[in-house]
Amino acid sequence: MKNAIEVENLRKSYGSNEVLRGLSFKIEFGEIFGVLGVNGAGKTTALECIEGLRKYDSGRIEVNGKTGIQLQSSALPAHIKACEALCLFAKWKKTKQDILAAERLGMDEIWKKQYFQLSTGQKRRLHLALALTGDPDIVFLDEPTAGLDVEGRAALHSQIRELKKRGKTIVLASHDMAEVETLCDRITILSQGKTAFCGSSAELTEKVGKKYNIHIKTAIGSEYFEVDNIEEKLISLLQDLKRRNVEVLDIKVDRGTLEQHFIAMTKGAER
Amino acid sequence: MSGFMYGMMIQWKMDIRSRSILVTCYIVPLIFFLLMGGIFVSVMPEMKKTLIQSMAVMSVSMGAFIGMPPSILETYGGDVKKLYKANNVPLYVSLITMVVSTFVHLVIMCGLIVLLAPGLFGAELPKNLPIFFAGLGIFLITSLAVGSVLGLLVKNQANLTMIAQIVFLPSIMLSGIMFPQNMLPEVLQKVGEAFPAFWGYRLMSDGGMVPENIFYLAILFCVSGVFCLLLLKKKKSD
Repeated sequence: MKNAIEVENLRKSYGSNEVLRGLSFKIEFGEIFGVLGVNGAGKTTALECIEGLRKYDSGRIEVNGKTGIQLQSSALPAHIKACEALCLFAKWKKTKQDILAAERLGMDEIWKKQYFQLSTGQKRRLHLALALTGDPDIVFLDEPTAGLDVEGRAALHSQIRELKKRGKTIVLASHDMAEVETLCDRITILSQGKTAFCGSSAELTEKVGKKYNIHIKTAIGSEYFEVDNIEEKLISLLQDLKRRNVEVLDIKVDRGTLEQHFIAMTKGAER
Repeated sequence: MSGFMYGMMIQWKMDIRSRSILVTCYIVPLIFFLLMGGIFVSVMPEMKKTLIQSMAVMSVSMGAFIGMPPSILETYGGDVKKLYKANNVPLYVSLITMVVSTFVHLVIMCGLIVLLAPGLFGAELPKNLPIFFAGLGIFLITSLAVGSVLGLLVKNQANLTMIAQIVFLPSIMLSGIMFPQNMLPEVLQKVGEAFPAFWGYRLMSDGGMVPENIFYLAILFCVSGVFCLLLLKKKKSD
């Protein structure tokens, strides 16, 4: 079965600076795929090559479906109204304006506003609506929540989940590890222009998260342990607290966050 | 309606909403016309014959060199261009819509001058109005082509403002619209001839629609057009 996107041995240099050094990954239909990497790892270059906005030196890119693109930094003329921008882009994509889709993104409240009158969150929503014009199969979102407040971020997350429910394939590049961990089915980590990892968060944990983290909150304070044998440590810890008659308020066990795994994975990479 | 025609309509509306176009295509030329028109004809009554042409040159130069280039830079100098590229909007479209929209705004402004000047200042109407407007069209499209090169070539607004003034001020001072060109030193006369305003003024004057006056503007238009194509090509591949 075909994949939504296949990237194989992608290479791209800017002069003598080799940004992509044989990047490879596959994205399945209907998944949210996260692209992670430190600054300068080649995320935006890779995405722009896949989106067809940038020429690449060698390798193979296969995109199977209509694409919609929300760029990391983009803008519209200051005096264009949201409704005009949506209509203009629909006309250029030779499609009808999807009023319902626009309403789902909360466009009705900014419909008649000019671009310079929009807040950062409203601009992000408009750019997402523009990317979704023409009902694309694959949606590229490059740092979609950058600069948004907590409320705006949550709203955008629910919109991304809604897109997945509608069967869209979403490629999400972000620096926000919590966002990627919550939203993405699979991720790829780019390091020095190559794929350092490609798989699910669970697979990454298996690969990198060798140790367990225990966060324990008691009536007398909080403590944190990093252990290899979880059972042994937990039992002895709880027994000790019971013996000292210390009340346990909260206890959390994990094998590291995506952020910790990411840092472990990209340690030493250029920033 | 096609994307192109809709884009044209939107550009027209944006230009009306944009204060900079309102100021550079209407307010400043109108104030200049109302103020200088009175001064010109009272100081030099013979200027009644050429007042309309002088004010048309001023309005066109203002709109084409000061008004339009910042809008072009806003679109092509940064993130707007990227968004258009990502959404399959051809890059040449915005430039054409901006040029056409500014063209129409400036024709309206010049039309106002033609309508108001005889009543307000006793200015003489051009003997052949269709020929006058044909000359205005040639001068306008050449000036807009030069303005387009400025907007596409310069990379930031501060530099653009400076360079636009370097083109605009000599256009006004050395073209013969403020005072007869033969009053200038020979060097400045030659410098003045390098600007489209000099030829546009002659072209719109009675009996000025002759090949000699069209030739330089035609060359300038072609050179600017080629420059625009090259600059757009470069921006596409950036």
